[in-house]
Amino acid sequence: MPAVLTVDPRSGVPIYLQIIEQIKRSIALGILQAGEQLPTVKQLAVDLTVNPNTVARAYRDLERDEVIETAPGRGSFVRANGVTESPRVAAEIGGDALDVALREAKSVGLSRAEVGELFTAALQRWYGDLEK
Amino acid sequence: MNYVEWLRVRNLLKIVAIVLVVLVVLAVILRISVSRYMSPEAWVAHMTHDPGTRVANTVLPDGTKRTIIDDSTERTHVIIDDHGYAGKHIVVTEPSSRAHSDHSHINVGSIRVVETNHGDTTTTVIDTNGSVPMMYYMAIADVVALIVATILAAPLAREIDGHLEIALTRPCSRLRFALGVLAADVAGIVAASVLTVIAFYVCQLLFESARLDFSGINARAIAMGVMMPLAWYAMLCAATTWINRSYGAVLGFAWPVAILVGVLTLVHPVNVLALFVHDIAWVISRLDPLTYVSFAAPNDDGTLDYASSNFGLRFLVEVLFFVVYGALAIVKWQRVEA
Amino acid sequence: MSDMSIAITNLRKFYGHTAAVDGFSLEIPGASVFGLLGPNGAGKTTTFKCMLGMARQSSGEILYDGKPLVPAMFERIAYVPERSVLYDWMTVDEHVEMNRRAFANFEPARANELLATFNIDRRKRARTLSKGMKTAVMVALAFARNAEILVLDEPTGGLDPVNQRHVLSLMINEAAKGNSVLFSSHQIGQVERAAEHIAVMDRGRLVLQGLVDDLKADRKIVEGIFPDVTFTLDGIANDPHVARADRTERIVRLLVTADANAIAARLSAAGAVGVRVLDLNLEDIFLYAVSPATATTDIVAKESSS
Repeated sequence: MPAVLTVDPRSGVPIYLQIIEQIKRSIALGILQAGEQLPTVKQLAVDLTVNPNTVARAYRDLERDEVIETAPGRGSFVRANGVTESPRVAAEIGGDALDVALREAKSVGLSRAEVGELFTAALQRWYGDLEK
Repeated sequence: MNYVEWLRVRNLLKIVAIVLVVLVVLAVILRISVSRYMSPEAWVAHMTHDPGTRVANTVLPDGTKRTIIDDSTERTHVIIDDHGYAGKHIVVTEPSSRAHSDHSHINVGSIRVVETNHGDTTTTVIDTNGSVPMMYYMAIADVVALIVATILAAPLAREIDGHLEIALTRPCSRLRFALGVLAADVAGIVAASVLTVIAFYVCQLLFESARLDFSGINARAIAMGVMMPLAWYAMLCAATTWINRSYGAVLGFAWPVAILVGVLTLVHPVNVLALFVHDIAWVISRLDPLTYVSFAAPNDDGTLDYASSNFGLRFLVEVLFFVVYGALAIVKWQRVEA
Repeated sequence: MSDMSIAITNLRKFYGHTAAVDGFSLEIPGASVFGLLGPNGAGKTTTFKCMLGMARQSSGEILYDGKPLVPAMFERIAYVPERSVLYDWMTVDEHVEMNRRAFANFEPARANELLATFNIDRRKRARTLSKGMKTAVMVALAFARNAEILVLDEPTGGLDPVNQRHVLSLMINEAAKGNSVLFSSHQIGQVERAAEHIAVMDRGRLVLQGLVDDLKADRKIVEGIFPDVTFTLDGIANDPHVARADRTERIVRLLVTADANAIAARLSAAGAVGVRVLDLNLEDIFLYAVSPATATTDIVAKESSS
């Protein structure tokens, strides 16, 4: 398991949610491939130094969301459609980030037009010339 | 037996053993330095200054070397029978003088001296290899056992003083724990007595063979000598477990207080205050195991008399003290909180 | 493997006239890691002492799987007290031997391994060890017991950060093996990592309990700024999910226990601007539960991601 998983216990976000998000992100970024085996609950708990039940809860939710599947006695694996889900996951992650940005913008009193301008400028910075 | 307490006991016994070994070594040194004086030849040489002293040496059929010294000037006749390692038998016949009494017995360890006045002459018989009454050994062993008992006492108070979180989270009942601790100390006290007896026996053997007398009063002395320090230990256990905060002071003051109380029972009730002091002291001393050991002075014939002072009853009292004081300590232990 | 649950019901312990524990009830499920938090003097150590029979409770019941504590259970329960209880005159090796004789499941080899991890020289006498090293010895001895339940009172007291991590890993390993760990700690970071459940004690009483994940997910600060100082909150402040409402001039902060977004919406509707929902980490949750004054000024605001 590549060492991209880190958790911040001091963050207000529950650890199991952090784990879920990071695994989803890893899949979306291609760091975790379809069919790849995830560490066991115990192993990941020891590696991250977190409670095993926290990891178990994350795995359960991932399984419920059909991102991974667990074969008893064999381990947990990334589902094929977990990978093909990655565009959907990416959209989720991106969408969440935009929601946060817009909420903050609204809360400081920016108008829709002002936000639009800022957004165009940001697009230019990150994605290059819109014409191309 | 509790392991921690046993370690404590073992460390103490090591010190006791070292002290006893030093004693034996001193005895060896003494033995070597007096060896010159152990043989009759040395005595003989010392005695034959007078002219007219005749010395005759013979060997008896059983191997005994007999030296006869005859000093006609002083009218002194000495027969020395040297049984070698088995001791010496000496008969001295000399004119009576004011220094001699009518009849006297002196026993020191295995040495017996009997002086008999026959009017003109006095006969003194010295036997260096009388049997050794065990009670002499027990007297010393008792002192050692009492010291060891005082040092070891307060095992439960020591646990209460900062180790209850260990002592009370064991998979055994508090009672079993306490018994295990007390058992280790009891074993240690008895072992100290045994080691002392062995050490003195070895010292004796350096000089000559020793026949130990276990009969009669000696058996009683052994029984009392084992039980009394245990009763004393149990009493201190009870005192320190109940007064657990300054158990060191309790142990330190135990001997002086016991002696003081003992002395105060000798106060003559000449007035009301003296009567009061005497009676209080008498009552307190009834609770002290040391009171019930009879320290009677030796009789004329050199024997010590335990028989005439209700030995059975006194021994029973010591056993009772051991059980009751021990139980008191355990009762407090059952109720103690961390 | 352990499923032994512990049920504490209405525990009261008086020392003289002072109640060190005053009506404390808690259910500790089997095979879990349970963190007990609280300020100094809250009654955590007293609770442990009553739980383990070292002190007699004034009233209340403590049951292990429905049964009261008996000495034989100590084969399955290991305890690390807050202060050092080692015998100063004995060496660490002798302490290992003492445990070997006292407990059937104790593994001396494992104890020696753990002692080596903590860099303890086993030939040293306990009196020559520092406070942290003494704690490490007690921890090593307890974790070598193969006990089903570990009760640890401040197991990282005096330890340097490296050794603190070792203790944390040991706790997590026990959890992975299915054993129970009940521990009290002032190291909130450790509690956040290791504990599933926590309970917060203050002045002898239970003030908060729950799953760490749930507490973090549900407890938020909803903050809003009103255009002028004349506004009322009544309706919102009385919402059952609003635990506390603080206002400083135009700024309002509501501590909510659930439904943060709904309450944020109501606050917006009431005319507040810049309404934010802020995450709370465990330290914040703890401070709010026991020392509200400190909490309000020290809180580090983090934008909620939910």
